[in-house]
Amino acid sequence: MNYNFRQIIWLLVFAAIFGIVRNKLFSGGVELIGNWRDLSSGDGPIVPPSAEEGDPPFIAIDVAQMEHSLGKTIFIDARDPEEFVCATIPGSLNMPFEYLPEGDLKPYLDSVLGGAEKDLPLIVFCSGEECDLSLHLARNLQDEGYTGVMIFFGGATEWEKFELEIERSAECEE
Amino acid sequence: MRRIIDNDYLTLFSRLFIGGIFIYAAYTKIIDPAGFAKSIWFYHIVPGKLINLMAIVIPWLEMLCGVGLILGFFYKGSVFWVNMLLLVFMAALSTAIARGISIDCGCFKASAASSDSAREALFRDIGFLVLSLQLLFSRCRKWMIDG
Repeated sequence: MNYNFRQIIWLLVFAAIFGIVRNKLFSGGVELIGNWRDLSSGDGPIVPPSAEEGDPPFIAIDVAQMEHSLGKTIFIDARDPEEFVCATIPGSLNMPFEYLPEGDLKPYLDSVLGGAEKDLPLIVFCSGEECDLSLHLARNLQDEGYTGVMIFFGGATEWEKFELEIERSAECEE
Repeated sequence: MRRIIDNDYLTLFSRLFIGGIFIYAAYTKIIDPAGFAKSIWFYHIVPGKLINLMAIVIPWLEMLCGVGLILGFFYKGSVFWVNMLLLVFMAALSTAIARGISIDCGCFKASAASSDSAREALFRDIGFLVLSLQLLFSRCRKWMIDG
């Protein structure tokens, strides 16, 4: 129990030196100061200029990732099936906004969502900031009475940027 | 009880076992600091700006402590850090379990794609902590460079 304080400090100093040297000199190194979003950093969600009052809430990458890891939220990809099969968030459902049926959406939504409860958390996304299909689809879902809709506007692009797992179907054509 | 804690062979076993575990765990992270940084980020308990620095330094601290335990060199400092690191890992895993996050611990693989569940990892760390606490309280100094 009689600690040698100098040993404790020296071990930390050596670890820092070895780590920084390895990081600088060999492949696979990272920046010393990371660019990771955290819940308390103030890095908010991406909100498009077209957002309006009353829209479903926008969520940031960390919240999206957290919800994904909890596994209790349905992720909905609003892009065309061609894009969906090539790169999407694992486990997502595809609900292409462009192909939404005219008129009564209820049968279609029930078939895609398997008759999910209206308060089930749903996260809608598309490619990223250049794509507003998620916003439009989320508004439609909200109009249909779904109360747990959230929009992950960073979409598949931001998900991939943070090197999170991407699902790619065998149907994807190169 | 004191005789068991001070037992030469038990102390040697604990040193070699915990030292080996730490060296192996460190190696898997040292070769992939980016993957380990991502593992840390998944826990959502470390400020984003500190994550990379931790991913760079912690694996080397584990490596030095592992070598220190096996050789009995910088022994007291190594025992201190091994206990501290295990407590920190256990606290991180506990918060993940408490928040219901189905996280992979990143203990032996830098990537979060490891199959370790947080609960399994926590139980494993409790086992490691028992041995490292034995080292903490043992007065045995046989077969050590520092001895």
